[in-house]
Amino acid sequence: MDAINNLPVKIADVIRGLFADPNSIWADLTMTLIGMILVIVVIVVAALFLVILERKVAGWASQRPGPNRLGPRGWFQTIADALKLLGKEDFTPGNADKVMYKIAPMFVFGIPILTLAIVPFGYGMTVIDLELGIFFYLGVTSVSTLAFLMAGWSSNNKYSLVGGMRAVAQMISYEIPLIFSLLGVVMLTQTFNLTKIVEAQATIPFIFLQPLAFIIFLICGQAEVNRAPFDLLEADQEIIAGPFTEYSGLRWGLFYLGEYANLVAMCALAATVFLGGWQGPAILPGVAWFWLKVGLLIFVSMWVRWTFPRIRIDHLMHFAWKVLLPLALLNILLTGLGIYIYQLVIGG
Amino acid sequence: MSEMYQEGTEELLLNMGPQHPSMHGVFRMIVRLQGETVTGIEPKIGYLHRGLEKLAESRTYTQFIPYTDRLDYLASPHNNMAYVQAVEKLMGVEVPERAEYLRIIFAELARFASHQVFIASAALDIAGWTAWGYPFRDRERILDLFEMTSGSRLTVNAMRIGGMSFDPTPEFWAALESFVDDMPEKIEEYYNIYLGNEITQGRLKNVGILSKEAAENLCITGPALRASGVQYDVRKAEPYGIYDRFDFDVPVLYGCDSFDRNMIRFLEMNESLKIIRQAMRDIPEGPVMAKVPKIIKPPVGEVYHRVENPKGELGFYIVSNGTPKPERVKIRAGAFVNLQCLEEIGVGTYIQDLICSFASLDAVLGEVDK
Amino acid sequence: MLGKGLFKGMGITIKKMLGPNITEFYPEVLPNLPKTVRSSMGLEPEKCISCSLCAMACPNEVITLTSEKNENNKKVLQTYHMDVGRCLFCGLCTEACPTNALTVTQEFENSVFYPEDLDWDMIARSKRNRKEGNE
Repeated sequence: MDAINNLPVKIADVIRGLFADPNSIWADLTMTLIGMILVIVVIVVAALFLVILERKVAGWASQRPGPNRLGPRGWFQTIADALKLLGKEDFTPGNADKVMYKIAPMFVFGIPILTLAIVPFGYGMTVIDLELGIFFYLGVTSVSTLAFLMAGWSSNNKYSLVGGMRAVAQMISYEIPLIFSLLGVVMLTQTFNLTKIVEAQATIPFIFLQPLAFIIFLICGQAEVNRAPFDLLEADQEIIAGPFTEYSGLRWGLFYLGEYANLVAMCALAATVFLGGWQGPAILPGVAWFWLKVGLLIFVSMWVRWTFPRIRIDHLMHFAWKVLLPLALLNILLTGLGIYIYQLVIGG
Repeated sequence: MSEMYQEGTEELLLNMGPQHPSMHGVFRMIVRLQGETVTGIEPKIGYLHRGLEKLAESRTYTQFIPYTDRLDYLASPHNNMAYVQAVEKLMGVEVPERAEYLRIIFAELARFASHQVFIASAALDIAGWTAWGYPFRDRERILDLFEMTSGSRLTVNAMRIGGMSFDPTPEFWAALESFVDDMPEKIEEYYNIYLGNEITQGRLKNVGILSKEAAENLCITGPALRASGVQYDVRKAEPYGIYDRFDFDVPVLYGCDSFDRNMIRFLEMNESLKIIRQAMRDIPEGPVMAKVPKIIKPPVGEVYHRVENPKGELGFYIVSNGTPKPERVKIRAGAFVNLQCLEEIGVGTYIQDLICSFASLDAVLGEVDK
Repeated sequence: MLGKGLFKGMGITIKKMLGPNITEFYPEVLPNLPKTVRSSMGLEPEKCISCSLCAMACPNEVITLTSEKNENNKKVLQTYHMDVGRCLFCGLCTEACPTNALTVTQEFENSVFYPEDLDWDMIARSKRNRKEGNE
């Protein structure tokens, strides 16, 4: 099991050894480039897989099989979807702001790739092991708010504008409890580095030490990714498709895949910080444990999406500011008290 | 120059047009918005107008029955019953007992099916995708019952002037019995997945308030009226058919909001099951069609007859001039009159609440546009 | 308890996910329609006495038929057309027929590509159905 565990690390060492000076800047650059390409491939494949998984889970919840025509029991449906999107006309609305209209989807798909670059898939398997891991993650996800607003404004459509306004309100309100729920873990481990956080969970995963923070993180994560019950942005029944109304073809496909990529990034962070990352009994290699935990969280997210209806905009704001934020602050208070008492009792 | 640059925000005119994922048919609303708050509503109807009232003047009385199916297409036995009983009132025809009981069974099954579609589409308006599937799955059993007897799933065309057009087989009674036994727990299931949710209750409570005085002034009928505290049901106020022989309650709620308009339909579904059970127990043997002449020629006169549709009060006003074709048929549709209260319940709320309140009125465009 | 409705809802969904599917597998498995279903009309030309009661009973003037008198001064059916594009499938014509020549059949895959194909020649259809052994 150790052999499979460290296989990617060994391959990386071999590639590094091909250079004249294994520690030169060229070797570092090449390794980072290979890592980035790998992360892009992983996230694209994961997002494509999630498209069909979501439709299958939706079908199972209503006692039907989901798409079942293409491929073995329907699991190749995404290929047909992607080909269909590629064949559509690529247009820009007449009075739209052309530059913003064209770069908005790129932001939405590019941000999760950045965030997945700092998550450790196994021991020593991070593209970039930043000392400020969590800080970087939180800073980068705030930029996706801008992307929705850009899409909503530049489409020159009233429905899109309403959707864009809702995006700003929702995503800003839910970032604050998200940040505070992660602060509890940072207080426990005294570091922002994700690899060290995973190693600190060798004895007990933080979900048992910080259950309140875990629940708050999951709820805020759903809101950040714009999934039900917080999907007011793209409320079909009221504002057609919100900021995405005027997009078609592969531009819309980038938005759609970007949402799933965001989901993968959010669940990867939750698995790292709360569930113990790559650690687990030695039956499976570490990478497999990591993806199992991410898969479980994704399933829970889909389960919640297909059960509950949508929440109203003012209830959304009340919930974020009047319920989640005080709970997150309470969590920080309790964590602080807990650490103090622990040091009194144990530290002597 | 200074008028062009005004301070403050502008009103947004949003056209929730006939092609919209949640307009329950082809209904158009022009909504004036200030931010997310609605300040004015202008409904525009007529996108499904087929000229049924004018068509009636060139069809005989029996030939018009398939057209009445298409009014409220989700509960077509009620439309048939209203029209056929109006003509029977005019002609003075006595319908056999077995036919009366069969009419009531069909009507209550249709009420159940219509309320199931209501639950499904109201859930869909607030994005409860799974809650859409369960009522439709069980509605298939009612549609199979209709198919076994009258031949068609949705537009049943089951009633004729003087009785029914068929006599059900023993298969029908077995299937009906198993349906009635299975349904109470399914109603529980619909409640748990749709209304029992805290999120739904937050969306629907205290939203779309229709006070008792406003409801009475605007002539609202049906479950929307009974959810505002007025005890009025045509089946009890002016019993038609043999409804006076059945023992059932008429639920009334006093909340006047969208949640009560949803809840009252759950209660009505239970009452429908009660009526069907009593009818299955008491139905006598006998003919299903009275002796009526081949060519129906009612005497000169006029009649107005009304029934309790799942949407409200459905009335037919028929003027006859002694020939086999009617002189004038006027249809008073419950959903059409209920749409008047849109301004009352919509203005001043958010646009999301407007969608929920409109869904709770349960308008079917076939009835509204005729 | 706060949130009890939410947990009940999630319980129902997970039970349905782990349970069996209840969908029908059309078009691999064709549905078994009861004999009363009014999905299509079929004519048996030998039983028809050309009384035109069906054409008079139809609300939409769908049926047109011609006949001529043979040697015994009885009417014999020549042509019988139904313009199915205007038909409501209400069944009033089948109820009006005194000899049960016009009946409802259970064929439901009736869609065509051109509107001219919606003018059914009922005598030709009955010959074709008999050849295929469907009647």
